[in-house]
Amino acid sequence: MANTSDVIIIGGGIAGTATGYYLAKHRLSVALFEQGHLCSGSTGRCIGGVRQQFTSASSIKLMMRSVELFAGMDQELDTEVHWHPGGYLFLAHDESNKQAFLDNIRVQRAAGLTDVRWVDAAEAKEIVPLLDTAGLLGGSYCPTDGQAYPFAVVNGYAQQIKQLGGSIHPFSEVTGILSQGGRATGIKLANGEEHHAPVVVNCAGPWAKEVGALAGIDVPVEPERHEALITEGVEYLGIPMLVDYRADGGYFQQFRHNGQFIGCYSPSPRVPGRSADSTFEFLAEMPRRMLKLVPALAQVKVIRQWAGSYEMTPDGNPVLDRAELGGFYVLGGMCGHGFMLGPAMGEAMAEFVRSGEKQPPFPEFALRRRFGQAEAMK
Amino acid sequence: MPDTTRQIICRCEDVTEEEVLQAIAQGAATADEVKRLTRAGMGHCQGRTCRRLVNQLLARRLGQKPADQRPVTQRSPLQPVSLKTLADSH
Repeated sequence: MANTSDVIIIGGGIAGTATGYYLAKHRLSVALFEQGHLCSGSTGRCIGGVRQQFTSASSIKLMMRSVELFAGMDQELDTEVHWHPGGYLFLAHDESNKQAFLDNIRVQRAAGLTDVRWVDAAEAKEIVPLLDTAGLLGGSYCPTDGQAYPFAVVNGYAQQIKQLGGSIHPFSEVTGILSQGGRATGIKLANGEEHHAPVVVNCAGPWAKEVGALAGIDVPVEPERHEALITEGVEYLGIPMLVDYRADGGYFQQFRHNGQFIGCYSPSPRVPGRSADSTFEFLAEMPRRMLKLVPALAQVKVIRQWAGSYEMTPDGNPVLDRAELGGFYVLGGMCGHGFMLGPAMGEAMAEFVRSGEKQPPFPEFALRRRFGQAEAMK
Repeated sequence: MPDTTRQIICRCEDVTEEEVLQAIAQGAATADEVKRLTRAGMGHCQGRTCRRLVNQLLARRLGQKPADQRPVTQRSPLQPVSLKTLADSH
């Protein structure tokens, strides 16, 4: 029968395309539906950072796996994703931050991330000679963290899904989840078309809650707006991703492949909702924060600003699970880490779906967990 | 007809007509998709030159009418501005 596949995926960002690719590799037929174009949600708006420095053992191990996958991706996907292990340097300007980073480093090393280490201000200056170290106590540094180019990764996965016999349907908004006898059986599109599969995976990013609601499933994911900007390309300066957790801090990095600086900061107070509006406040404030850390960038020009959504869960951890409706799965709530977690979590989701297991592989990412503790390295 | 496939469509990002046509062959049907596959329109001038050319290629290849083409979002700043100028602006 036409319009029938083994798996339907809703969402054409990193979560959906990665899950779809690893399922297709398991020889399952995949049909992926995206309401806009590929990468039109959160993935295409992120700044492309990839780090293993997390604070829960599962996230650290998943990120170590993601780094492996990014490193082999050009060959695996037959494309160029611009993976570059340029490192991440988290900066500590007060004793409590320093202590928190030292504690995190212990957890990370115990989880197997032996590349991470504490560096004092002098060593930070050696790693980033252009860094203004005024007031800096040191930082948490992992040289094997890095960067990749989101559009190339998502498109690479999507092209391989097609190569493996699957289908990609952009500009195809899902408006209904079909079910029968307590099991998902397919989807309905805005144009009235129906597509059928015994498995439906909600990878809708900032729309995860709405897509869940179509199936009567509560997905505890709330979007909030984050803004970003990018500069013209200049000579590559070898600066790792700098993360400054101070109230007037931010994070930015330089792409190895074209020399552009890209950065953002978390607004305070938070801006709930899916607005993608840009503000003049950010356009002025982000450069101020960048120049505070690296004054030498003063003459580098900003060419573009935009905004996108973080998909927040109450505890800052993602969701990877099956729902109460049989055959309906959820991968989302990435809390700003979707691009970096995507490859490993897509792989894990594919294995979870393929195996038919009842219990999710990571209890702390269960859909119905108690949302008590909070992920610290946001 | 002369072979135009190697002519530059996006001068900022060095994207050729051939690359735009490859993106269309891969499934891109809007200027937004061409942009994300080729970087046409993502450079210094933000697509001032290539936007029209990309739309013409889409129209020619896919039989689209200009009125049916989805516009690409325009983003600030209108022209490149140095980090220092922006930082000093407030």
